[in-house]
Amino acid sequence: MQRESLISVSEFCLYHRVDTTFVQTLAQQGLVSVITQQELVYIAPEQVGRLEKFVRLHQQLAIHPDDLDVVSNLLERVEDLQLQLSQLQNRLLFYEPPT
Amino acid sequence: MEFIDYYSVLGVPKTASDDDIKKAYRKLARKHHPDLNPNDAEANKKFQHLNEANEVLSDPDKRKKYDQYGKDWQHAEQFEQARQQQQANRQQASGNAGEYDFSDGFGGAGFSDFFASMFGQEGGTRSRQQATFKGQDYQAELHLNLRDAYTTHKQTLTVDGKNIRITVPAGIENGQKIKLTGYGALGTNGGPNGDLYLTFVIADDSRFRRKGNDLYVDEAIDLYTALLGGEKIIDTFDGKVKLTVPPETQNGAKVRLKGKGFPVYKQDGTFGDLYVQWQVILPKNLTDAQKDLIRQVAALSTEN
Repeated sequence: MQRESLISVSEFCLYHRVDTTFVQTLAQQGLVSVITQQELVYIAPEQVGRLEKFVRLHQQLAIHPDDLDVVSNLLERVEDLQLQLSQLQNRLLFYEPPT
Repeated sequence: MEFIDYYSVLGVPKTASDDDIKKAYRKLARKHHPDLNPNDAEANKKFQHLNEANEVLSDPDKRKKYDQYGKDWQHAEQFEQARQQQQANRQQASGNAGEYDFSDGFGGAGFSDFFASMFGQEGGTRSRQQATFKGQDYQAELHLNLRDAYTTHKQTLTVDGKNIRITVPAGIENGQKIKLTGYGALGTNGGPNGDLYLTFVIADDSRFRRKGNDLYVDEAIDLYTALLGGEKIIDTFDGKVKLTVPPETQNGAKVRLKGKGFPVYKQDGTFGDLYVQWQVILPKNLTDAQKDLIRQVAALSTEN
């Protein structure tokens, strides 16, 4: 990956007013992936949306970084269930078309 | 423009302390936060209202202005001018740029016209250091009918005032989501744009029912064709097809037309099957002669 397209974790943290240990904790939990180049830590642009979501959950809802993996797992289950619901609704429409 | 009662949005009385407001906001935000309610537009809207109410009521200056002018917000402009004059005087004395600092906003965007009229368009923006970041992702729905989804075709949609022309591949499913990279909000300070997530909503067809890649259709045949056999021309998405109805076809009997169903998504030339279910229609208003003949048939059937 081109270095120019990476975002420095320290710059991200400065912008979002979070400590760099926040990103480290998420990376240790496997919630985001970081890239280390020449002793500097970066994130890929496609990770930014996901990371910003965790920042919002932490800053706006006071969710401790250690607990974000639980929230993330539950949210993934919600989205899976929403998808399943949509598929089941499609099948139900087949058997019971709206009158 | 409608007056918004920010106190009732947060469910607190007008006498609520700063702490009460903070607690009420935190409690409701934990319930309606968009990140905790994926794909829920209603929760998103509710959260924007909560944010807006919190922006106003948690800031002493704004709360004072809101309490004073809330219902008569049209007069707020005069108040604003007077306030700006006072602020300018203060700034001259202290050299301090009086900026709002909205610490708890969800991106600060999406405030109501009412908010903008009272506090100005810049009322919800944050001051931050220059850095490049990806823009916000957008979610949108594209409504199609079943016939549209049958063929690969172009569609133009308008997002954020921009026209986007996309190719919709044949066989797309109801509820299927696709990502259009770079069609979200503009990035910050030259950062990459956000993405657009497009969900397809496919309306039911009055004639065909879809189950995966297979299509089902009910076709009416009269009693005599069902009993004696015959031919029937039916419409499919692919044109007309002539079918042979075998003698003594039962009501509800199904015929499978291989490869005449729905196209398989992103597999050119591959199609599901079409199932035709015969619906035998019994004759009405029989003449006496017809009734006599049917009685004779019935009598013969009983003898057998």
